[in-house]
Amino acid sequence: SNFECILHCFLFLLVFGRAIHAIARISDEFCFDPIEKGLALRSVNSSRSAYAYVFFSSMFFQHYCWTAVSQPCQKEKQLSLPCKLIIKSVLPVFRCVNVLERNVEKCSIYTNINDHHITFQLLCKHGVIKTYNLTFQECDPLQAVFAKQMCPNILKVHSRLLADLMVHFPTSQEEITLSVTPMKVCFKSYTEEDTDFSKTMLTEIQLNPDEFDYFQVGVDSEVTFCLKELRGLLTLSEAASAPISIHFDIPGKPVAFSIEDTVLEASFILATLSDMEKEPASQQPPRLSQRQESNADAVASKKQQWNGNASTTEPVKPFASPLAQQEIRSTPSISKEMPGAGGTAVVGAKDRAVLEGEVTEAQPSEITTSPPSPNSVSRAVSYICNYCIFQFHSFFFGAFSCKEKDALSHTSHSLATASDTEEDFGKAQSSQV
Amino acid sequence: GNVFDEFQMEGVASEHNEIYLELVPENLSRALKTAQSAKAVKIKLTNKHCPCLRVSVELPSLSSSSRIVTHDIPVGLIPRRLWNDFREPSVPDFDVSIYLPVLKTMKSVVERMKNLSNSIVIEANLSGEMNLKIETDLVSVTTHFKDLGNPPWASEDGCQSSAEGRDLESMAEARIDIKKLQQLLAGQQVNPTKALCNIVSKRIVHFILLHEDVSLQYFIPALA
Repeated sequence: SNFECILHCFLFLLVFGRAIHAIARISDEFCFDPIEKGLALRSVNSSRSAYAYVFFSSMFFQHYCWTAVSQPCQKEKQLSLPCKLIIKSVLPVFRCVNVLERNVEKCSIYTNINDHHITFQLLCKHGVIKTYNLTFQECDPLQAVFAKQMCPNILKVHSRLLADLMVHFPTSQEEITLSVTPMKVCFKSYTEEDTDFSKTMLTEIQLNPDEFDYFQVGVDSEVTFCLKELRGLLTLSEAASAPISIHFDIPGKPVAFSIEDTVLEASFILATLSDMEKEPASQQPPRLSQRQESNADAVASKKQQWNGNASTTEPVKPFASPLAQQEIRSTPSISKEMPGAGGTAVVGAKDRAVLEGEVTEAQPSEITTSPPSPNSVSRAVSYICNYCIFQFHSFFFGAFSCKEKDALSHTSHSLATASDTEEDFGKAQSSQV
Repeated sequence: GNVFDEFQMEGVASEHNEIYLELVPENLSRALKTAQSAKAVKIKLTNKHCPCLRVSVELPSLSSSSRIVTHDIPVGLIPRRLWNDFREPSVPDFDVSIYLPVLKTMKSVVERMKNLSNSIVIEANLSGEMNLKIETDLVSVTTHFKDLGNPPWASEDGCQSSAEGRDLESMAEARIDIKKLQQLLAGQQVNPTKALCNIVSKRIVHFILLHEDVSLQYFIPALA
């Protein structure tokens, strides 16, 4: 077989199971990508407003074996073959992670690329062996590049604290707002102008910066993101006893929640609500009747109004088949995004060059806002042109590059980005996620 | 008065010094769960976007200053003309008054019975005996409690109440919705100082649970 690994100890099983559960909150399917250094799991939600990445180094496993397979027809030796798995198929394997502790002695995972199966085998007490054979589909490698180090605001806190805070919000709470100044930190229920206050219970938590292990606020900011998608990461970090880092910027730019220790790394990158007319530094409420979101359709509630363009556009699926890639070329996702939505261009390996072209061509002509008053449109256009490029650079699902040997290193070169962004920003460092 | 360190209120008018608020209990329950390990809790009636009960919880934290969690619970102010709807019913002229068995036992009995029937009969007499009965086509189950004791009620105006002169062995009974009884019992987290019930035969069962500073009364009408 091409890949095999064994999890032997209950703590590691628990962590692995929780990683699967955390990813399950993002999407129904995920990408299972064993590479030489370890096992990467990646997932993106259908509206591309949340991206999850978990990486287990080979040291995490009792036994880890990976061999490269090269197909004769391919020009380059393929270093990995990521597999797309349906979450619902994998969840039963790790269903009751607590029960898993007591009954399961060993879990081995192995693949045979040729017959498109991944096998999860649990060796349980009393000689019981549970074997799960799951079929997978090939998927285009998917990777997001997010320049965490370029975020002006960085908070680091142990997972227990964040979990304790989230307990105060109802489990049904969709979005919360994180608000920071150099003097204080506040998590609160998200509200908007048309929130029905007579029916909604609001919760707000105020904290002193002292409570954080690391606290850096470069710009006062209030970012709103989806709490539901984050909860999985919180339980994962509790199991792993790892502190959580929060990297963020002004509203509209993504927020990254990540954990990192010697054998495990995880990043959840969530889109945040952006306000079109909001100056980055100001706290003014938006003037436009509409709110736009970065990255996609549905971070916030469905009550959001969208202009015609975005609502009719099919979100481009991340695991695009060659047929879908045709679509990418003809309906460039960047320009079809909501104004202020930024660049989630999702492409397979082959579309790099095409996308670069799109960035320069398509942007200026396709932005519309509503109501289309001349001033706001032109302002929106110019804002987006600058913003989109930056977004494109900072949060971009790019092509997998075979040059990437050191997946764990944070000084790795950025993946495929449009050539004009490299001119604008020089050799900016991006962290590999 | 002893429950709160500080208590200030001002009603609608001096002769109607009360405020009636309507709210979703789940919200208040959740807000107070926050306060389990709190240093201090403050509840205020505010009116920011709409009338709200603002529950401010000061929690211990790792830093020098506390964590503050604030919950704004929307409430509805009930106008004075509707206050009569909420008037506390007076203690009925009961036939039997008896102390309840240990609530935990009663709760588990009622929970098992709930699966078998929709209604339950509570009967008791002035000799400290109480029976909980269910009866369906397939099965009937009765749980007997004895030596429960009957609380002494002083008659207020000296005239005969229904309970006086009553045969000590004779049972007063009422059939009530079992779900309502089960909910009542499920809600009791702490053992009360005193727990008793008054039965008006075939009319109503009146439960009184007394804690040190708090009294809870439940009136459950009998089913036809």
